[in-house]
Amino acid sequence: MADFVQLVILGLLAGGVYVAVGIGFGLVWGVLNIVNLAHGALVIVGGYLTWQLFTALGLDPFLTLPINALALFALGYALQRGVINRIIRAPLLFTFLLTFGLNLVIVNILLLIFGSDFRSVTPSYSGAGLELGDVVIPYVRLTSLGAAILLAAGLAFVLNRTRIGLAIQAIAADRDAAQLVGIDLRHAYAVTYGLGAACAGVAGGLIAMIQAITPTAGEPYTLQAFVVVILGGLGRVSATVVGGLAFGLVEAFGQSIPGSGSVFANAIAFGLMVLVLVTRPQGLMGRLH
Amino acid sequence: MIATTDSQRRWRRIFLIVGAIVAAYALLAPLTSMDAAQSANVPLLADKFWFRIATYMVMFIVMATAWNIIGGITGYAAFGNVAFFGIGAYTTGMLVAKAKWPFLVALPFAPVVAAVFAALVGLPLLRLRGHYFAVASLGVGVAVGELVQNIDYGGQPVFGGASGLFLPIYAVNNRGLFFFYLMAAAAAISIAVTWWVLRSRFGYGLIAIRENEEAAAVLGVNTTAYKVAAFALSAALTGLAGGIFSQWNVFINQENAFPIEYNVQMILMALLGGTGTVFGPAAGAVLLQLLIQFLGGSLPISIDLPFVSTDAQPIVAQVILGLLLVVVVIFMPRGVIDFFGGRTRLSLSYLRRSLRETSL
Amino acid sequence: MKMRNIALIAVVAAALAACGGASSGSTGSTITLGAPLGLTGSLAKESLLTQQGYNLWQDWINSEGGIVVNGVKHPVKIKYYDDTSNANQSAVLMQKLITGDKANFLLGPYGSAATATDAAIAEQNEIPMVEANGAAQSIFNQGYKYTFGVLSPANKYLQGVIDMAAALNPKPKTIAMLSADDNFSLEVAEGVNTYATTKGMNVVLYKKYKNGTTNLSAEVQAAKAANADIVLNSGHLQEAIAINKAAKEQKVNAKIFAYSVGPSTPDFITALGKDADYVYGGSQWTPQVKYTPAFYLSVAEYVTAYKAKYPGLGDPDYHVAESTAACLALQRAIENAGSLDPKKVRDALAALDVTVFFGQVKFDSRGINIYKPMVVEQIQKGVHHTVFPADVADAQPMYPTPSWDQR
Repeated sequence: MADFVQLVILGLLAGGVYVAVGIGFGLVWGVLNIVNLAHGALVIVGGYLTWQLFTALGLDPFLTLPINALALFALGYALQRGVINRIIRAPLLFTFLLTFGLNLVIVNILLLIFGSDFRSVTPSYSGAGLELGDVVIPYVRLTSLGAAILLAAGLAFVLNRTRIGLAIQAIAADRDAAQLVGIDLRHAYAVTYGLGAACAGVAGGLIAMIQAITPTAGEPYTLQAFVVVILGGLGRVSATVVGGLAFGLVEAFGQSIPGSGSVFANAIAFGLMVLVLVTRPQGLMGRLH
Repeated sequence: MIATTDSQRRWRRIFLIVGAIVAAYALLAPLTSMDAAQSANVPLLADKFWFRIATYMVMFIVMATAWNIIGGITGYAAFGNVAFFGIGAYTTGMLVAKAKWPFLVALPFAPVVAAVFAALVGLPLLRLRGHYFAVASLGVGVAVGELVQNIDYGGQPVFGGASGLFLPIYAVNNRGLFFFYLMAAAAAISIAVTWWVLRSRFGYGLIAIRENEEAAAVLGVNTTAYKVAAFALSAALTGLAGGIFSQWNVFINQENAFPIEYNVQMILMALLGGTGTVFGPAAGAVLLQLLIQFLGGSLPISIDLPFVSTDAQPIVAQVILGLLLVVVVIFMPRGVIDFFGGRTRLSLSYLRRSLRETSL
Repeated sequence: MKMRNIALIAVVAAALAACGGASSGSTGSTITLGAPLGLTGSLAKESLLTQQGYNLWQDWINSEGGIVVNGVKHPVKIKYYDDTSNANQSAVLMQKLITGDKANFLLGPYGSAATATDAAIAEQNEIPMVEANGAAQSIFNQGYKYTFGVLSPANKYLQGVIDMAAALNPKPKTIAMLSADDNFSLEVAEGVNTYATTKGMNVVLYKKYKNGTTNLSAEVQAAKAANADIVLNSGHLQEAIAINKAAKEQKVNAKIFAYSVGPSTPDFITALGKDADYVYGGSQWTPQVKYTPAFYLSVAEYVTAYKAKYPGLGDPDYHVAESTAACLALQRAIENAGSLDPKKVRDALAALDVTVFFGQVKFDSRGINIYKPMVVEQIQKGVHHTVFPADVADAQPMYPTPSWDQR
């Protein structure tokens, strides 16, 4: 029984990271219709930023998260405004190709700057955890989950309670009508992508604490972001939160299948995603578009 | 038929001539490697390396053209077509390596198995639209690769598992030539099929589905049947390429039979060349492969990037590739086939116009 | 007329003297060696280490004038290409090196997948390839004649740990074996599974996970539930780091933590800090081994040479050393063959038996080096020490590993 509880906890904690990775990806996809293949690369940029601040200035990694958010917001804004906006009216596939090219550029620039060494952020309190009987709740992961939830809440706040957030929602609902009422599309789009990048940056900081990063370490996260967003449902931040936590649980239980069953964890996750798409495309919580 | 001006006709003629020359060279140069030619002292135009690169290019022509059928003509952007490549590769691979069938007998099964799989999977999948279909096909693509590598039966991997499948080296006199022509035949078949599709009722139905699926259904097009057929056709051609690949490469495993990057590359090639056309994907395939190989330094001509240390050369080359991609996508979203088709001319005003069309 | 004859004779004599003078210690043609590596892409780090190993040897051999073939010294040039960590591209580049760059011989890429594909190319072109970074035995079970691996095969990677454990007191009994599902890692794990029982130990848990997984909490949890004395991982650096972190977080206390790949690289210690202590690793080579080389540098000289050329990176790890060993094997085989003919060199490789700083280099009938033992190292207070076998150990194993709370 304790094992089951532990597994659930591990799954939810891992889910926190997936939430952080997923909400940025889902925002950009849902509002801008962009499948951002460079998302994983942006996550890793955030990871390196945290690592750099941690090793050079001794900053606690959790304190670097807001810095990541700001820095990556700026980067994302610039990318969208300068580059991606130029292709936005073209069919879906072109943004797909564009972001693929951007991914190549970002990953290799990281490789030039930081080299291929594996880096990780191991603060002094890493490994410590809350012990409730046989069940352990590691502090770093717990705080990461908290940070991810905070991030999601922050994003939801921006989207629902600020002018620019409402403008973004208007665009998601009907782009042309939004333009008609005077919303500056170029700016709003750039802010959206910036927000997505900011979330990616925060996710990167969390990831740097949990694993070792190298410039190419972001690719699997892009793939996982797909699954998270589909599981939860495009359209609402809360939906992606559910998707991220669900994915964490699926992974934890998939990987605990005895023997060699756990190698199918990936196949199970993707199979589940396909199943959801075919039977309930709005995801666990989304609304049907 | 769009009315064409003299200059457009001229460009079209130039394109056809250039294309014919390239195709002729590609098809005839290999003959210089034959023993008969060599003993007659004909200069060797195609060595083993030429064959390796050329066969890859032609393989991508097959895959890009095949993708075009479901993605470009029917408008269902599949992100997971590499699954069919892998299925084709493993079908032939298993028949040759485990069941010890002769290669040429095993090969036709590759497209058949891939097509059957596509039909089965396509029935539920093709009910989805746009993004959802794309992502679902990606999911299938990833899942299939994982399953093939890991499925065990009685403790032993069924498909060779992680150590992959080793096929016996094919005993034929001039292997490079043989596999090149075989792959070229597959490319010819793909292009011919595309040409036929675009001129048939089937093709018109597919285009109708792409433009407005509801209207097409109302007009009496059996959209489900057509879509599944297109998907299966696309899978069959891709599977054929995979089948040839398995024997040519001698070794297949999840990594090289289901490479996720191929998904992106085949779409890229179709888009760069121009979807919905017969020769567009082929042109895109050749161009992109040339670009990738050139930047990777594997072509006879290579550049040494100035100001960059030797260690950083390959990394900077990748950065340049990415930047080039970005630039091309931004300025030429309809693909290069527009120029060669003679419909437009490559000029500053064209670039500016296409930029304005797609940007915010 | 006599004058002219005398002049003619003088000229001919002078010409002969000049020729004679040039032929002793003359420089021959440059030998080109081809090496496709994953300099970008997911294998960038490991490929870089491989390249360092190759370059160290290249510098040395050229400072000696080159490889000696029948009294003539041939300088060496290694031509590298980036295969972007893609095995298919590696094959393309291998072919280019052979037909385009006219490489005389080939050095292997990094990783078993690329090595398998490249081995087929080497075989089809009948050019010997000596590799140091593809340990999967499946490569060598294909009957290829032109591929030689200087490293110990995969199944031996963790057997040294078991040997070491068998001699410890109190003797550990149970093993939890976690393994990535790629070819190489599975062979390492199978090697453990078959070997453990011969030493009186039981594998109570055998769990495979997807290669490249970064979240291994569930697997570590299973190891915890199994309560094994020894926790082994067969995988790569990323996974080793993830497992160690998870073990600390989830309070998994085993007497021995040993990972097949990871602990030997400096990144492992910098990433984990104090948490890297007590971890054992199966290693192809450590700077503490005591082999007497027949030629080239001694172990100590090699370490010095590495630090001089690549300062700030610490000691060379075994990926560097084994890559250099591949070059040494090729060099000695060429010298023994007295020729640059591929078939003669291939035969010389098959018959090779020489000890260098890396250990004994000798190939079995399949082409892999089963004669060199693996060593076990342990990280003690942030420093690598060799702890097994006893004749090369420079420290005792710190056993048992204290529980996480007590560190």
